[in-house]
Amino acid sequence: MPHIEIEGLRIEVNEEGFLVHPDEWTEETARLLAKAEENLDELTAEHWAVVNFIRGYYLEKNLAPMVRKMCQATGFPLMKIYDLFPSGPAKGACKVAGLPKPDGCV
Amino acid sequence: MSEFLKILENEVQIAALVFLALVYAGRLVWLFRFKNRKDRTFAAGSGGAGAGYSLMNIAMPGAMESTRKRPGFYAQFVIFHAGVAAAIAGTFIIPYAPGVFEVKGIVLLFQAVIAAAFVVGLLRLVRRLTDPVLREVSSPDDYFSLVLLIVWFAAGALAVPNRPEKGEWPLILYFGLTAFFLAYVPFSKICHYLYYPFTRFYLGRSLGHRGALPPSPGKRATAGTAKERA
Amino acid sequence: MKRRKAGPSGVVEAPLDVRTQALAKEEERPSVKDGRLRTYEPGDNAARFLDLLGRRVSRSLAVSLTACVHCGLCAESCHYFLARPDDPTMTPVWKADQIRKIFKRHVDWTGRIAPWWVKAGTVRNDEDLNRLKNIVFGTCSACRRCTYNCPMGVDTGLLVRFTRGLLTELGIVPEGVFNVSRDQWETGNQMAVTEQDYLETLEWMRDEVRTELGTNAVDIPVDKKGCDVLYTINPREIKFDPRSIAHAAKIFHVAGESWTLPKWGWDQTNFGLFSGDDKLGAYVARNVYEAAERLRVKRIVISECGHGYRSTRWEGYTWAGYDQKLPTESVVVTLKRYLETGRIAVEPSRNAVAVTFHDSCNIARSGDLVEEPRDVLRRVCADFREMFPNRRENFCCTGGGGLLSMAEYRPLRLEVAKIKADQLRATGAMLVCTMCHNCIDGLADVIKHYRLPMRVVQVMELVSNALVVPAESVK
Repeated sequence: MPHIEIEGLRIEVNEEGFLVHPDEWTEETARLLAKAEENLDELTAEHWAVVNFIRGYYLEKNLAPMVRKMCQATGFPLMKIYDLFPSGPAKGACKVAGLPKPDGCV
Repeated sequence: MSEFLKILENEVQIAALVFLALVYAGRLVWLFRFKNRKDRTFAAGSGGAGAGYSLMNIAMPGAMESTRKRPGFYAQFVIFHAGVAAAIAGTFIIPYAPGVFEVKGIVLLFQAVIAAAFVVGLLRLVRRLTDPVLREVSSPDDYFSLVLLIVWFAAGALAVPNRPEKGEWPLILYFGLTAFFLAYVPFSKICHYLYYPFTRFYLGRSLGHRGALPPSPGKRATAGTAKERA
Repeated sequence: MKRRKAGPSGVVEAPLDVRTQALAKEEERPSVKDGRLRTYEPGDNAARFLDLLGRRVSRSLAVSLTACVHCGLCAESCHYFLARPDDPTMTPVWKADQIRKIFKRHVDWTGRIAPWWVKAGTVRNDEDLNRLKNIVFGTCSACRRCTYNCPMGVDTGLLVRFTRGLLTELGIVPEGVFNVSRDQWETGNQMAVTEQDYLETLEWMRDEVRTELGTNAVDIPVDKKGCDVLYTINPREIKFDPRSIAHAAKIFHVAGESWTLPKWGWDQTNFGLFSGDDKLGAYVARNVYEAAERLRVKRIVISECGHGYRSTRWEGYTWAGYDQKLPTESVVVTLKRYLETGRIAVEPSRNAVAVTFHDSCNIARSGDLVEEPRDVLRRVCADFREMFPNRRENFCCTGGGGLLSMAEYRPLRLEVAKIKADQLRATGAMLVCTMCHNCIDGLADVIKHYRLPMRVVQVMELVSNALVVPAESVK
């Protein structure tokens, strides 16, 4: 099973870098995923606003939120989400929030 | 010339040709039982132009990257098939127009082409036996067809001078093999020359209709400067 | 058409009513023939597969199956083989042979009498079918580069799609293919976007453009009758990146276009192309065509998507048995027209960074658009450069054929993407522009995996960047 090794810790991810066991997510995991997959050295309060919303939505509905909902909930325009997470809301933010990979030709 | 050779050069060939024609007809009937679905779109090009371009593919080595990058391979293809044409022509000339092979220059020309094809055949056999991809996909028919043609070329090169009085065996071998392969061809990959017009036509028509073929003049896929300004 | 030894499944004489027979004939179901019902043991997928094969082969496919002479010229045209030159199973000829050998054994002539002579073969069980599934879904992006390099004109890309279709009909598909197909059947779009989400996202983008331009004159109409243009989009644009919708709205507004999106039938993408399922292809395409009819538009415009363009502009009409009535074009062609007729004005210096263009397989090889995107790019970019090879000889982004939805094949896909990475690196460009959403993600994966200093953009974004918004359109 592929994994990423970062700062001495080992996280199991699938081939595309998404968490294999979403329930094993912690804030530390998020920080490490962001570093490994998005080249983000630190997560600011704005990053966390997005990540926490996504995580909460997923735990409640078992679905990835649409990017529009992310923008509404956080008050950030779409461009901001892309600034925060270069890979975008699906591949970047959702990944850091510990969601499994969304379906479809993404 | 012995009676046996006379019959082999004439009646046997005709019988084999008739058999070939009948099987080909059957093959075409079989093929036409499959149906294609009608294209219901507006054209962005011409199906006819595409089909024509596609059919000309064997004469345009520059058109495909695969033949453009391997001109030697393409040259071998030309020589090999020229040999086939010459050797087939020989089987008609000898029984029905033997006067043609009384001209020394023509005989030498035929021998040269067929001998060259023989050499190419050997090269191709070596390739088929040593290239890992070809070894993986080749069937007994692939090898047998090639060997059959190689031996036939050898026989043909020796037979074209048409001197039965000096020994009939090259002619017997030549015509014997011809009769055999006329019967064998429709069941083997050698039949590809029957399919060529169809594959090329259907592909060309479909892509021509969509404007994908022929390529726009002057716009080659490897053309273009590294930096282009408006 | 073919004779098969009766295995556990067999043939049963059943007095079928005329209506059932007619229906079965219309839908080309192999289980009913000459008034008799062919029964299958549960799980006898191999028998079903063979029957389907016999029934579904078209004439073009039949010649592609018979005409191959095993010359091997296709090998070096395939990025899978170029990246793995020691692996003959990566060549188009080998992959095509996996279905060809079954055809030779069960449908063709010589292979039925002496199968070993022509290397004919068969499928016996689910294991064989699964192996075949991994080959046709996992080692080929159906880019048709081999088709263009075959001296005989064998269409291996189409053979792969055909084989996929047979397996799809049996449900033997990668999980991603199953999920996306189901979503598209059930919701009408590939990503199960609900109507509410769709409409709300459009409203959201409309508001963003209004804010940007400072005018309420901009609108994103939905189901407006009698417009000139029906605009159809990729669900990805709703679910993940609606910026392209905003770009389109802005450009249409400045160009003074009369346009609308449909409420139903807005998905121009088509998973039927990837799964080989003509019925899904027909259903999805027909949604678009019928929306155009319902809204009485004059033209169907397809947002940038490779397989969507090929499916909606070309294949869909044939799948659906629907005669084309309206001009159907890519939005890039629309943009080109706007530029050439002066409906929009652009300032190319706004796109100063070096841009190269990646031709998408479904647009260049299976479609007609090669010079059109270049015409647009030359007008909106200051530094446009070609990659080599390009146009119809370009290499696949490596994410084609639906591979992006099949996670299990990703490692191999990224390995063979080395060919693409080398090609991109050699251009020295910072931006690679493409007309296809699949290519965006395919190329993004290549860029990330091979650490290229590049970003992927679409034509629409570059045009929108360079767009000069005249004062009167924001009054």
